[in-house]
Amino acid sequence: MRKNTTQKIGIYFFLVCTLILFLGPIVWIFALSIRPPESAFQYPPTLIFKPTLDAFHHVFVSPGIQLRQLFNSIIISLGAVVINLPLSFLAAYALSRFPIKRKGLIMGWYLGLLMAPPVVFLIPYFILMNNIGLSGTHLSIILVLQLITIPFSVWLLKSFIDDIPLEIEEAAQIDGAGTWKILRSITFPLCGPGIIVTTMFAFVFAWNNAIFPIVLSVQKTATIQIGAFSYFGASGVQWSVIGAIAVAAMVVPMVIFLVLDKFVVRGLTFGSVKG
Amino acid sequence: MLAPSFILLFALTLYPLIFAVRNAFFYWNLQTSPTPQMFVGLDNFKNAFTFTPFMASLRNTLLIAFIGIIIEITIGMFIALALSAKMPYLTFVRALLIMPTTIAPIIVGFMFRYMYWDVTGLIPWIAKTLHIPEPGAGYLGSTGTALPAILLADIWQWTPFFAIVLYAAIVSVDSEMIEAARVDGAGGIRVVWSIILPTIKPVMVVIVLLQFMKLFNIFDLVYVLTRGGPGDSTMTLSYSLFQQGLVNFNIGVAAAMTIMIVAILNILVFIYTKFVMKGAKLS
Amino acid sequence: MNIGLNLTKEGLLRRKSVAASTALVFLTSSVLIGVGGNSSAQAAADCANKTLQLLSVGDPFEYALKEVLPQFTAETGIKVNLESLDNQTLSSRLATAFVTKKSDLDVVTVDNIWVGQYYDNGWILSLNDLIKANKDVDLKDMVPGVLYSISEWRGQFVGLPMAPYAQGVMYRTDVYKSLGIKTPAAGWTWDEYLANARKINGKTVNGKKMYGTVIVGKQPVPIVHMYTQLMAGQGARWFKKFPEAPWDFTPTLASKQNIRAATMYRDLYKVSPKEAISFDWFAAGMRFADGDIGQMYWWTPYFYLVQNKGYMSGKPSPIVGKYAIADLPSEKGKPANISTGGWQLSIPSTAECPEESFKLVKWVNSAKAQKAMAKVDKYGTQFSDFGRYSNLRDPELVKMYPYLPKLEKMLEAGNGKVSRPGMQIYPALEGVYGLQLNKILLGADVKKTLTETNSLFSNLLGGNMLLPYKGKSYDDTLQATKDLIASLS
Repeated sequence: MRKNTTQKIGIYFFLVCTLILFLGPIVWIFALSIRPPESAFQYPPTLIFKPTLDAFHHVFVSPGIQLRQLFNSIIISLGAVVINLPLSFLAAYALSRFPIKRKGLIMGWYLGLLMAPPVVFLIPYFILMNNIGLSGTHLSIILVLQLITIPFSVWLLKSFIDDIPLEIEEAAQIDGAGTWKILRSITFPLCGPGIIVTTMFAFVFAWNNAIFPIVLSVQKTATIQIGAFSYFGASGVQWSVIGAIAVAAMVVPMVIFLVLDKFVVRGLTFGSVKG
Repeated sequence: MLAPSFILLFALTLYPLIFAVRNAFFYWNLQTSPTPQMFVGLDNFKNAFTFTPFMASLRNTLLIAFIGIIIEITIGMFIALALSAKMPYLTFVRALLIMPTTIAPIIVGFMFRYMYWDVTGLIPWIAKTLHIPEPGAGYLGSTGTALPAILLADIWQWTPFFAIVLYAAIVSVDSEMIEAARVDGAGGIRVVWSIILPTIKPVMVVIVLLQFMKLFNIFDLVYVLTRGGPGDSTMTLSYSLFQQGLVNFNIGVAAAMTIMIVAILNILVFIYTKFVMKGAKLS
Repeated sequence: MNIGLNLTKEGLLRRKSVAASTALVFLTSSVLIGVGGNSSAQAAADCANKTLQLLSVGDPFEYALKEVLPQFTAETGIKVNLESLDNQTLSSRLATAFVTKKSDLDVVTVDNIWVGQYYDNGWILSLNDLIKANKDVDLKDMVPGVLYSISEWRGQFVGLPMAPYAQGVMYRTDVYKSLGIKTPAAGWTWDEYLANARKINGKTVNGKKMYGTVIVGKQPVPIVHMYTQLMAGQGARWFKKFPEAPWDFTPTLASKQNIRAATMYRDLYKVSPKEAISFDWFAAGMRFADGDIGQMYWWTPYFYLVQNKGYMSGKPSPIVGKYAIADLPSEKGKPANISTGGWQLSIPSTAECPEESFKLVKWVNSAKAQKAMAKVDKYGTQFSDFGRYSNLRDPELVKMYPYLPKLEKMLEAGNGKVSRPGMQIYPALEGVYGLQLNKILLGADVKKTLTETNSLFSNLLGGNMLLPYKGKSYDDTLQATKDLIASLS
C-alpha cells in the first residue's frame, strides 16, 4: 500500500498518541517510585520534582522486606518452570506425533483449564495443601501454578513441534533409531527456540500471578506482587514505596517480552497464532 | 509418553470438580471444622442467592466481558491497521506497545488506584482539564463509574494484545490481493471489510474466546481497586466466590457457586463454538 | 501466518516410552520431595535464639511501635521482626494462616471484633495462666472497660491491649464561634449534632467553604466502624440478646432505632463531601485535617493524627489550635454507648515459643513501653492510645496530649461489645452490613434495605448454624471482667 505524505503523518500522529496513552501510565509509575513522598499528590500533577531513591532503599535495603519477596517470586517462578517443562514437552510431543484418540478433546480440555476461573481451583487446593502438609511452602504455590503453566506450555510447545518437518524423524526411524533417541537427539534440539520461548513465557505467567500467593502464601513465602499490601495502612498509603514495588515487579516481564519480541504473538495466543 | 503430564493434569483438574460436586450439598465452615459438617441438600444453592450477591456479580461479570471485548478488539484493530502501514520505525512502536500487557494485573490495579486518586490523581486531573466533571464520590467510589473504571484499566492492559496479534494476522494477508482490489478502485474501508477481515477471522475467533474468558475471570483488578464496591456495583463472580470460599470459609456455598459458574461458562463456550467458531475447527 | 488449531499431521511413531515416562515421573517427584522437604521440615524450636515474627495492622500506632521495639530487644535480648498489612489483608492472611495451622507468626495484632472468631476456632491462646504467673502485668492499672471491650472472650483474656480507642467528637472552635453555634455540652443529643452540621454546611468561614461533617462511607469494614457508633448511640442492637446470657443471635437490624440511626447517617452524608462514600478511616480523618469540615466523630487516635498533614509528613495541618474535643452525643436520658475498639497483641496457638511471645505482649502493654511510644518524636509525637490509668494520668503525657482526662472518661464509659459484637462470624456479617449501609448512602430506601439486611443476617446466621443458638453462652458483662481481673491479680 502506498501512502501519501498526509496519510503518513496521520498514521504517525495516531501511533504517537497511542504510545503516549499506553506508555504514559508506566512512565507515571516509574516517576512515582522516585518521587519524594509529599509530591505523590502534588496538584496539578507534574513530572518535575527532585528524584530520590528513598523508596527503593526502604523496599530493598532497610528494612528491605521486599527483597525477600523478590527472592520468593524468583524461587516460585523458577520452580514452576522446572516442573512444568519436562511434563509439557512430553505431552506436547505425544499430541503432535502420535495417533491419539480424541486428541481434539484433550487439547480442548487443556484449553478449558486456561479459561476456568483460578478461584475455582484455589478453594479445593487450599484445603488439599493443608491436608497433605504443604501449606505455607513455596511448593504449594508452585504446584497449583502448574494448572496454568502446563496447559499453556502444551499448546505452545505443540505448535513448535508441529513445525518440525516429520520427514527428519521418519528418516531417523528408518535408520533404526528408537522413539526416545529421536526425541532426544532430533526433536529436542530442533525445538530449542520453542523450549526457550515456552520457558520464558511460563516464567512470566508464574511471576505475574497474584491470586495464588494471596491465598497460599504466608509472610515468609509472600511474593513481590502482593508486597504492596503492606503499605495501605489505616494511617495512610505510602505511594512512593508502592511505586517502587510496582516497578520491581514489572521490570522482569518487560525485559523478557522485549527479548522475546519475535515470539510475543505466539506466546500470548498459546501458539495458536504464529506471528 | 503423554501419560505423565496428562494424568497429572487430569487428576489435578478433576479434583476441584469432584470436590465441588460433593461439598455443594454439605454445610461446611472451614473455620470450625476441617471436614464437612452436615448434609443440607440444596440449601447451599439457595444460600448462594440469598446471602451472596450472585446475580449482581453475574450481571457485572457479563457486562465487563462483553463490553471489554468489543472495545478492546475495536481499538486494537485500528492500531493494528496503522501498524501494518509499511513505514519506518513501526517495529519499534510495536515492541514498545506490548508493554502494558506484560505487567501483572494486580500491579496494573495498583497503578490505576494511584491514578484514580480523588481530585489530585492523574486521571481526575486530566478529566478536569478536559472539562469532564469528576463524580462527587470519585471514579472508584460512584456506582456509575466504578465498573467502567475497572474496565478502563483492563482495556489499557489488553488492547495492545489485540493490536499486536491482529497486526500479525494483517501482515500475512496477501498484499497482491489488496493491490488488485485497489486497482479495481476499492477504498480503504472496502479493503478492510472485504479482504482483511475475512482473512483474519480465524485469528479473531480464537483470541476473542481467550480474552473473553480472561475478562470473565477478572479478579485482581477488583481486589485492588474496589473490592466489589460501592454497593455491589463491581462484584464479579470470581470475587464473590473468593469472598465466600476464602474469606468467610463457607465451603459448601462456595462449592455450589463453583458448580453454577462452571455451568455458565460451559454454556457460553458451547454457544460460542457452536455459532461463531463453526468455521475454525478447534483442534 | 498460520493458524495452528488444526491437527493434521499424524505421526507414524510408536509408543515405546514407558521407561522414559517412568523415569520422568521419578525425577519430578524427587524434585517435589526435595523442595517440599526443605521448606516443610519443622526445625526444633530454639526458643533461646528466637526472632519473634510480629505481624501488625498498618494502624497509626505502627510507627511508634517500630521505633520502640529496639528497646525491647535491648532489655530482653529477643529480636523482633515487625511486618504490617492493611486491615482487610491482615484479617484474611491471619484467617488463612490459622485455618491451615501453618502460621509462621509468633505475635499478631488482633482487632477487638475478631476475638470471638479467633478464640472459638482455637486460633489464639488464652493468656489467663500467663497473666496469673506474671504479676508485673498489673491488670489493676488497666481501665476495666478496655480489657472488657478488647481482650476478653468467654472469660478468657485472649490478648493484652496495645492501642485501645474510643470514639469522640472533634469540632472546629473557630467555625463554631464565627457561626454562633453553642459549644457542645455534656448530654447533648445526636439531633443537635446533626443540626450543627447542617448549620455549618455550605457556609464560608475565613474564606473556606465548609462542609458540616465528614462520614466514612467505604465498604465493607470502615463504614461499619463509624456507623455502629451512631447505631449504638440510638440504642439499636445487632442481636436480640448479646453479650448478656443466654445468647440469642436473632438479628434486630430493622428496629425503629436502627432505621432512625441509618436515616441520620444518610443525613450526615448529605452534609459531607460527596467523595466520603469511598473514604476509609484515614481519608476521613485527613479530610478533617484539611480544614473544610466543621465537626466529626471518630476514633480517638485522630485527636492527635489530625494535627499533621498526611502520614508521617511531619508538617502541621491548618487546623492546629482550631479544634477541640467533645463527648459523644447521646439520646435524651440514655447512655452514649461509646464504641470502644482497637488493637491488642495475641499469641497464635501455633506459636513455637509462647513464653517468649508473651514477653513481647506484656512489654508492649506495659506503662513504660506505652509512654515510650507516646514520646517517639520522629514526625511529631503521634501516640496517645493508652488503656492504663498510670499513662492517662501521667502529668508529662497530659502536657503532650491535653485531652487525656477526657479520653479516660470515654474509655471508662465505653462498651465495644454492644456497638460491634465480636461473635464468631462477625467478619462475615460485617461484610454484608457494610455493603448494605453503603447502598443506603447511595440512595437505597432505608427501611427496605435494613429489612433486607436483617434477612441476609438471618440467612447467614442460620447457614452457619448459629440460629437458633445452641452453643454455650457466656454472661459477658463488665462486672464479670472486673471479677476476672481480681482473680488474676
